[in-house]
Amino acid sequence: MRQNILLLLWSIASVAVQAQSDTLVSQDLSEVVVTATRTEKTLSAIPMPVTLIKKTQIQQIGSLRLNEILQEQTGLAIVADHGQGIQMQGFNPEYTLILIDGEPLVGRTAGTLELSRLAVGNIKQIEIVKGPSSSLYGSEALAGVVNIITEQPANTTATLTARYGSNETSDLSTSFNVRRDRLGIYGFVNRYGSSGYDFTPATFGQTVEPFHNYTLQTKLNYDFTEKAKLTVSGRYFWEVQDNNFDVGEAQAPNLISGEGRIEDKNLQAIYDHQLTRAWRTELRTYYTAYDTESELFYQSDQSLYESTFFNQDFIRLENIHEYFLTDKHILTAGIGNIWESVAASRYEDLNRFQTQYAFFQYEWLPDEAWNIVAGGRVDRHSVYGTQVSPKLSLQYTFSEKLSLNASVGRGFKAPDFRQLYLNFTNTVAGYSVYGTEELPSILAELQAQNQIEEVLIDPSLIGDIQAETSTSYNFGARLNPLKRLRGDINFFRNDVTNLIESQTVAVRTNGNRIFSYQNLSSIFTQGIETNWTYQLSSTLQVSAGYQYLEAKDREVLDQIDEGALFRRDPATLQTVRVSRSEYGGLFGRSRHMGNFKIFYEHPEKGIFTNARVIYRGRYGFGDRNGNLVLDQDNEYVPGYATLHISAGKDLYQKRLRAQVGADNLLNYRDEANIPNLAGRLLWASIQFKIGNQP
Amino acid sequence: MNKLFFRGLVWLMVVGLFTACNEDDDDPTPMPDPDTDPIAVELEVRTVTDLPADPFTGEDDMGRPVGKNQFTFYSLENQTIVAREDSASSNWDIAFQGTNIIINGGPDRFGEGGAYIFEGTFEELQSVDPTRFIVDGVDNDVNDSDLAIPTGSTNGWYNYNPAIQVATPIPGRILVIRTASGKYAKIEILSYYKGAPESPTNEDESRYYTFRYVYQPEGTNF
Repeated sequence: MRQNILLLLWSIASVAVQAQSDTLVSQDLSEVVVTATRTEKTLSAIPMPVTLIKKTQIQQIGSLRLNEILQEQTGLAIVADHGQGIQMQGFNPEYTLILIDGEPLVGRTAGTLELSRLAVGNIKQIEIVKGPSSSLYGSEALAGVVNIITEQPANTTATLTARYGSNETSDLSTSFNVRRDRLGIYGFVNRYGSSGYDFTPATFGQTVEPFHNYTLQTKLNYDFTEKAKLTVSGRYFWEVQDNNFDVGEAQAPNLISGEGRIEDKNLQAIYDHQLTRAWRTELRTYYTAYDTESELFYQSDQSLYESTFFNQDFIRLENIHEYFLTDKHILTAGIGNIWESVAASRYEDLNRFQTQYAFFQYEWLPDEAWNIVAGGRVDRHSVYGTQVSPKLSLQYTFSEKLSLNASVGRGFKAPDFRQLYLNFTNTVAGYSVYGTEELPSILAELQAQNQIEEVLIDPSLIGDIQAETSTSYNFGARLNPLKRLRGDINFFRNDVTNLIESQTVAVRTNGNRIFSYQNLSSIFTQGIETNWTYQLSSTLQVSAGYQYLEAKDREVLDQIDEGALFRRDPATLQTVRVSRSEYGGLFGRSRHMGNFKIFYEHPEKGIFTNARVIYRGRYGFGDRNGNLVLDQDNEYVPGYATLHISAGKDLYQKRLRAQVGADNLLNYRDEANIPNLAGRLLWASIQFKIGNQP
Repeated sequence: MNKLFFRGLVWLMVVGLFTACNEDDDDPTPMPDPDTDPIAVELEVRTVTDLPADPFTGEDDMGRPVGKNQFTFYSLENQTIVAREDSASSNWDIAFQGTNIIINGGPDRFGEGGAYIFEGTFEELQSVDPTRFIVDGVDNDVNDSDLAIPTGSTNGWYNYNPAIQVATPIPGRILVIRTASGKYAKIEILSYYKGAPESPTNEDESRYYTFRYVYQPEGTNF
């Protein structure tokens, strides 16, 4: 316990010191993070890869939404599939758990949680843990975890920020902070809106339609005693976006217009009690809901084209204990229960899940050099069964200049509501998709009516689905070879089995196909990530990051080895065999990604400026030669780099900050392949601060 | 329009070069086996370019493109299109309508035809396996036919990519055909689009087959 307090004091001290020097992009190893072990630990003491993004960095680069700040981090790529999500260690967005103050966000469309739903003005720091964290967090934490830590009430201040930029994008934020003895209150209000942009002016409907949204957040701290503390926080997000498209043909347009609304609510209460000097407990309750609705009308006669809705509820109750056997043996254990439900226009009923779970973690610090964390979690799910997710992490510190760490763990992702309960028929295109829980009864019914021509899968597999699982290895080093040079390197490997894919399961007598979901493929991802920071002078810092990635489908490799995978020679269109070297791996993954950043800051003069180059190497877009596999140059989106700059000045004892910036300054665009990459965006902002903290 | 024309021109040049090469010396035909092929016949690789397969002629009430819903009948032996009026005969071997391919064999057909799909390259297919041939089933409607060359994306000869709305012949699928008169042929479909562009888009005109084939008038070896 003593250590814990010391640690805390040290971290507070270091944060205070840091406020002076403000290292922006480098990972100050004395910073405290909570996500990796669910206990407060300094970065240097975490035996697995962790990235920390501080508020100062977010402010100085001028990010407004979460996707903007995450896309500048090494090894993370923004991928657009029903929203903008992040790809981590080569995994699609659905495999990264997104937390806000330690609690999961819900509301994924086709697996992607739209990151632009999250304003960053109320964020204190973002912690990114790479590698599976299901041993602490359960489902979805297969590639890693992004934990958004919002501001804590401290001091008494208020800010007002206004920003305007290209595409009539406006952002208005205000926040206040009150601290009186035992009570702290934080409040945040944001309005963000844009007219969007259009890469295809010839067609009806913009690439990004006009939208506006509001974020309200509040957090309340109350300390009953030194040892008993309560935190209650709430967030409310509300967005309206236009919707315009054409369902007709070129000569006979048939225009559809309407509005889509999204609502996102979180409510959290945490009671933290220091029971004895060695024993701390935390009772956490959490409720979140994600609701969308959309009503679309024919422009010709204002009749209804389509009305859809989606409502998801998630409630979690959790109790965590932290116990210091001695300073060298720390135990963490937790139990919890999750209630989830979804109702949607494409589901038959209100569908419910329940998960009971328990986790355990043992931290052992045998001496100065070693740091060992072993743990695991059991999740019992009401629909698909039980998952066990162990993890072991080790760190050995040779000196201040070098420490090595290694971890092995298991991650999983539960089948989602769509994969279990979807009940969708497209009468125009003539197919149906059923979730695995719906399929058996529907198939039996259709068979009884003699409507099934043929069942294409093993009947014992009908309705059978398991979680997707991975076994992952991370091996890394933190280096500080020179006083001003600091870096880290991490090798990773993820072996994933039971990936869920949609597949034709039956054909109806009228020829229509029935699709459902099955555990089909196995993939692996592996690569190297490295980050380096050099402090050129007291005011100037440069940093560089790079990730090499391979992500491949095992079945495809087997097919290649058997000589059973072919492609078409682009010149003659004739069939030739695909070799291993021609296989480019999974679509959407860049083999090379990198960034280079320069940050300048002169605290006395109150000036700061920065330039960041973000590179994303070529990645597969889609098959063009008939074998459904990435193996030909024209199946790639060309690699590209974007340059982002920002500069600002603090005035009147830091009560006023003026800032200008340009995102994608060189105006790189690839309208056909990357419609979510807007062109050059110029902006200017101004911020007022009042209160007792300059 | 210019682009299409240009592409077509390039394609013609490529095809021209290709066939020119073949005529000279680039003969992929293996040495005939005297035991099974008593009469050694010089087998040529024939290329058929832009065979129309019911191309779109207009739109239906919903504005969707439609053709005449008619097959184009083809004689592999004579290398000619067979008139529709002559289709109730064994004068044709294979017929195309959209992505549907039928052969002249089966209860609703007129010849001794059959087909199966060989997986591998065109050159690797050296001899037919007479036990593998199947025939077309009874015709119902176009979308529900039990055909020797199955319809539908990934089932038979093509993959359809809904993201770019393009049908691509699956590489490595060679159609092995028994003709209406009981001879054998092997076919590799190269393109479904007019001018056989290298990377077709949904702007290209579909329902035009380009394929190469070898017709074997004697025996089972190619």
